[in-house]
Amino acid sequence: MKAILGSPLGAGAVLALAWLVLVPLLHVPPLILPSLPAIIRDALSVWPALAAGFLRTLLETVLGFVLGAALGVGCGVAFAYARWLERAILPLFVASQTVPVIAFGAIVVIWFGNTLLEKVMIAFYLTFFPVTVNTIRGLRSSDPERLALLRSFGASGWQRFVKLALPSAAPVIIIGLKLGISLSLAGAIVGEWFGATVGLGVMLLQSLYDEQTARVWVLIIACGLLGALLNGAISLAERRFVWWRPA
Amino acid sequence: MIAGSSVTGSAKPALLELVGVSKRFGRAPQETLAVRDLDIAIQPGEFVTLIGPSGCGKSTLFNMIAGLLPPDAQGTILFGGEPQGDGKLLGKVSFMPQKDLLFPWRTVLDNATLALEIEGLPRRAARQRAEALFPEFGLQGFERHYPHQLSGGMRQRVALMRTFLFERDLILLDEPFGALDALTRAIMQRWLLDIWARHRRTVLFITHDIDEAIFLGDRVLVMTARPGTITLDERIDLPRPRDPAVITSEPFMGIKRRLLAILEQESLKSFAVARP
Repeated sequence: MKAILGSPLGAGAVLALAWLVLVPLLHVPPLILPSLPAIIRDALSVWPALAAGFLRTLLETVLGFVLGAALGVGCGVAFAYARWLERAILPLFVASQTVPVIAFGAIVVIWFGNTLLEKVMIAFYLTFFPVTVNTIRGLRSSDPERLALLRSFGASGWQRFVKLALPSAAPVIIIGLKLGISLSLAGAIVGEWFGATVGLGVMLLQSLYDEQTARVWVLIIACGLLGALLNGAISLAERRFVWWRPA
Repeated sequence: MIAGSSVTGSAKPALLELVGVSKRFGRAPQETLAVRDLDIAIQPGEFVTLIGPSGCGKSTLFNMIAGLLPPDAQGTILFGGEPQGDGKLLGKVSFMPQKDLLFPWRTVLDNATLALEIEGLPRRAARQRAEALFPEFGLQGFERHYPHQLSGGMRQRVALMRTFLFERDLILLDEPFGALDALTRAIMQRWLLDIWARHRRTVLFITHDIDEAIFLGDRVLVMTARPGTITLDERIDLPRPRDPAVITSEPFMGIKRRLLAILEQESLKSFAVARP
């Protein structure tokens, strides 16, 4: 039992089984929770649109994430090494994050229209902040004794950055990236609500208007799969590049 | 107080000379004087050990010699006869701090070549040079391992190899064996003497272990409690190569008794100061 529940696939299978058995057994009304076969039937009936929507939302999320991560790491490095820059700009970043994404989305729609770029910008807007903050924190956490050792070898500032600060910061930056990828997905879905023709967010909004409970569940599961896929990708990168234990 | 230069004897200029070096931390009235009027001279090829009660400012002294910490204005540090300004010593002295400070994301081989990379040696050439030293440092077969896979003694040898590969005339070792168990430590001491006899670098070695200080050194410097200053400069004339049995010999014991008496006095002084 432990072995089955220990793997994500096993736990998912157990959950599906419970769903399959308990919903008819307890006579749960379909408005609350439709049965699993009904959801699968619904998913198959819209399969082409679902697949296209999945890929579209994936694209928006990844583009927004890549832009946000690049700017976040860049700003994090700049702020970690130039305190005056941090004092000047970071408060603006913090303020920008207190603006609700819906309000921000409105102006983005005015700027970019109902384009791919509009969704990417909203995903980007949610991603860059946690990445920035974690990059600053990671870079500031390098061990002062190891820094002194590198200085005693005559290392330049650039060498200290590449050989010590950046690798020591990597585990913390990865945390920022994990937060960022989930927020980026949320941003892409919200971005689609402002107007789009393809995407999981659009389908979600439509099924809400049409009160198609089964469809809503199809999309919840699709979004969940997309999120798990993206998180898994980051975790894989983490295991590949940031595997070491602190010594 | 015995000035280091009084034991020179030869006409060769000292490799490292400290003249009236002091170091204060903080501002008055909370100012603390960590070390006071240090006069030390180390000749090329010498193995000098430095011993003192804890908190005597040994690490402050080391950081100053490594160029990491500027001394107070009135003192001078001369290296190869040249006075060294702020930060000038960085990159000139091979410095090994107390902890091994290996980089966990680098293999043993890449940890060993760290200083060579900083010097701008191509990675290939750096690795070749390091690989040649692996048998001598007892690390053969561990080139591709990571630090967390090694024992404490092995990690310390990797750190020592990194220090040796950074080929500078002066090596500073700050209690390199302090964290090792007694047996491993004894083995490492003999091994270090072996390496030193072959490579003939100048070594300044900090320890708080009297046996270690006498067993390793050509000279033992004794530092007083804070503010630290050199109170004794004892030449150790035990023949080299030194056998481990030398530790129980009568001449060794005589030196140890003398040093112990002075160290105990110093430790008592620091207690007396601590009491109101």
